[in-house]
Amino acid sequence: MDNTRRTFLAQAAASLGLLYLSGLTPEVLAQAHQHAKTAPRNLDGQPFRFFTAQQAADYEAFASQIIPTDETPGAKEANVVRFVDFALSEIEPQNKQDFANALKALDEQAKKTAPQTASFAALTSEQQVETMKAIEKSNDFGTLKYYTLVGFLGDPADGGNKDEIGWKLIGFEDKYYYAPPFGYYDAQAAKEKA
Amino acid sequence: MSATPQQPKYKLTDQVDFLIVGCGASGSVLARELSRNGFTVVALEQGPWLDRSQFTHDEYRVQAQSLLTNNPQKQPMTFRKTPQDKAVKQPALMYGRLVGGGTVHFTANYWRFHEIDFIEASQKGTIAGTGFTDWPITYADLEPYYTKAEWDLGVSGQAGVSPFDPPRSKPYPLPPMPVKSSGVLFEQGARKLGYHPFPAPVAVISQAYQGRLPCAHCGFCMGFGCEMGAKSSPLPSMIPQAVATGRCEIRPHSYVRKIELDAKGRAIGAIYFDHSGKENLQHAKAVIVASNGAETPRLLLQSKSNRFPNGLANSSGIVGKYLMFNTDTIAQGTFEHELNEYKSIEVTRIVQDFYEVDPKLGFYGGGGLSARFLWEPISFALAGISPDTPQWGSEYKKALQKNFNRTMMVMGHGLSLPLADNSISLDETLKDAWGLPAIRVTYKDHPDDLKFAQYQLDRGMEILEAAGAQTHWAFPVTENTNAVHLLGTCRMGNDPKTSVINADHRTHDVANLFLCDGSSFVTSGRGQPTETIQALAFRASDRITALAKKGEI
Repeated sequence: MDNTRRTFLAQAAASLGLLYLSGLTPEVLAQAHQHAKTAPRNLDGQPFRFFTAQQAADYEAFASQIIPTDETPGAKEANVVRFVDFALSEIEPQNKQDFANALKALDEQAKKTAPQTASFAALTSEQQVETMKAIEKSNDFGTLKYYTLVGFLGDPADGGNKDEIGWKLIGFEDKYYYAPPFGYYDAQAAKEKA
Repeated sequence: MSATPQQPKYKLTDQVDFLIVGCGASGSVLARELSRNGFTVVALEQGPWLDRSQFTHDEYRVQAQSLLTNNPQKQPMTFRKTPQDKAVKQPALMYGRLVGGGTVHFTANYWRFHEIDFIEASQKGTIAGTGFTDWPITYADLEPYYTKAEWDLGVSGQAGVSPFDPPRSKPYPLPPMPVKSSGVLFEQGARKLGYHPFPAPVAVISQAYQGRLPCAHCGFCMGFGCEMGAKSSPLPSMIPQAVATGRCEIRPHSYVRKIELDAKGRAIGAIYFDHSGKENLQHAKAVIVASNGAETPRLLLQSKSNRFPNGLANSSGIVGKYLMFNTDTIAQGTFEHELNEYKSIEVTRIVQDFYEVDPKLGFYGGGGLSARFLWEPISFALAGISPDTPQWGSEYKKALQKNFNRTMMVMGHGLSLPLADNSISLDETLKDAWGLPAIRVTYKDHPDDLKFAQYQLDRGMEILEAAGAQTHWAFPVTENTNAVHLLGTCRMGNDPKTSVINADHRTHDVANLFLCDGSSFVTSGRGQPTETIQALAFRASDRITALAKKGEI
């Protein structure tokens, strides 16, 4: 966690008693949290630390089949590959081997689909889908898919979900304060009561 | 940064009045009560002491780095279904591992047990092949302490609206939390079917309380620490109040390996590894183990001696046995309009119409249902989409887009019958990062537990249908292979042959050794154990104080 946020919140917490007396409300404290939220991590243009160029290309092709780029941005635009490179280098280095093995299994399956192919990334989209369907029940597939989803929908502080692309897609906002009504049905119920 | 408020610093050689092992749901309460009652206390906690500025909404990191819970890398476990099976390494249990314990990250459902929970076996009849029996205390014994827990910690709810609510001496201190769309829909569906939905009691403050600010509805309860301090974990309440007495030292990063005895068989303190890995022996006049339903029996089993070759306080041979998890079921539905369930607390309406089911159904059971949304963005993408929908590709992406804000669940919470084979034991073939034997979990649900779970799941599906869900589906009922509710492993009772502690939480075998946490449970209740764990801790504090003042410890 970055120090700016931590220090800010520590100060906010330390002065809570005083602020409380002077009219601190949840809204104000939540604004303080929001203000101190960890900034997005920008991994653009960083050299890869975990992936080889080929692995990065294969994984980008895989992630783009999980969350494709269509009318809305997908895994590619969310920087999933950069996120995974960072996460496996910094946050979960113990999972590097499992991930590398999973990519290898994907590559081997690609060669079963098309024996002459240079790589998974080099397959046609239809061949990629066929390859993935053949292994979609395996732990290897699960590992690769898990990290795509984390990179697409995780906290931008970790370098994925660039520009909150994933959160915008599903309609999630990371705020620290909401007031009722929260949704359509509780709003309706409140109206009827009034 | 770590929270380091002014607190006394006792020497290892200081014989403090009470050494408490574990600073979670129950240990924190005991620390506050006993220090307020004039005793000196050292409370050891294996995890860190965080303050709320260190909590985060980062869904991935909280899970991947085990920021608030036991770490499967450092503390591996093994699991098997029966004692005849070979145990396999897998993360079978999750529990809070920091000052405040599991209450820091819990959902904050705060249900009292009902009268029946303490006297089921005598009222309903024993069940062959199980250890189903009455508690040595009744609801009436615990009622004042339920009230105390609600008022001292800060609980929001509405008394008197559920016809199934047990008698209470006081209403909740705070009004219920605002209802969410899931609560409105659940209430509509449940009423159509003739049930009695009511506002969920939750350990979250709906208004300013005791100098703490109310909930800001940020939506990060389950799995996360509350950055507002509005979740009524002991972290913003019991802990600072214990420290404020000037008689209580909270010692984080203290991993206890053994309770030490003297030649007469009395506990003299506990040996623990500190943050640097160094072994220390903290002396005390009495020891209270409050480490949870897995770690408490584990510590006793590890604390073998010539006097107790099968584990400390285990003359009965049942330390670690009768483990109960509770059953959970999930029915999920999607609706036409947005619910936005990611906002605010998880649960705002529940029903307890199935607290006791008709024996004519052919199985024993009981539970409650809650309107709920368990997911954050990543977990929703992993598990929240209907199994009929492709789980990757364009259609999947559209389903994520459409349904994240239109989904709710009805969750079932049910009892587990106590079975002697279901247990915590030591796995000598696997060591943790401190070189101690790993926890081995043996667990297979009683067939009635699964039948009841299915029964309750079906009722949840009907409620979603009656509420007008466009689609609804269920997660199939399966045998539990992992759990967060850890109950029953050092059960309370009057007979030293069939229980580990007496009604005062004193072990039958060692006069100055007490146990108080989920391990004390005799039956599992209906799926939300935290309030009972804490009520027991308030009561145990009174009992232990009385014994100490009479010079009987």
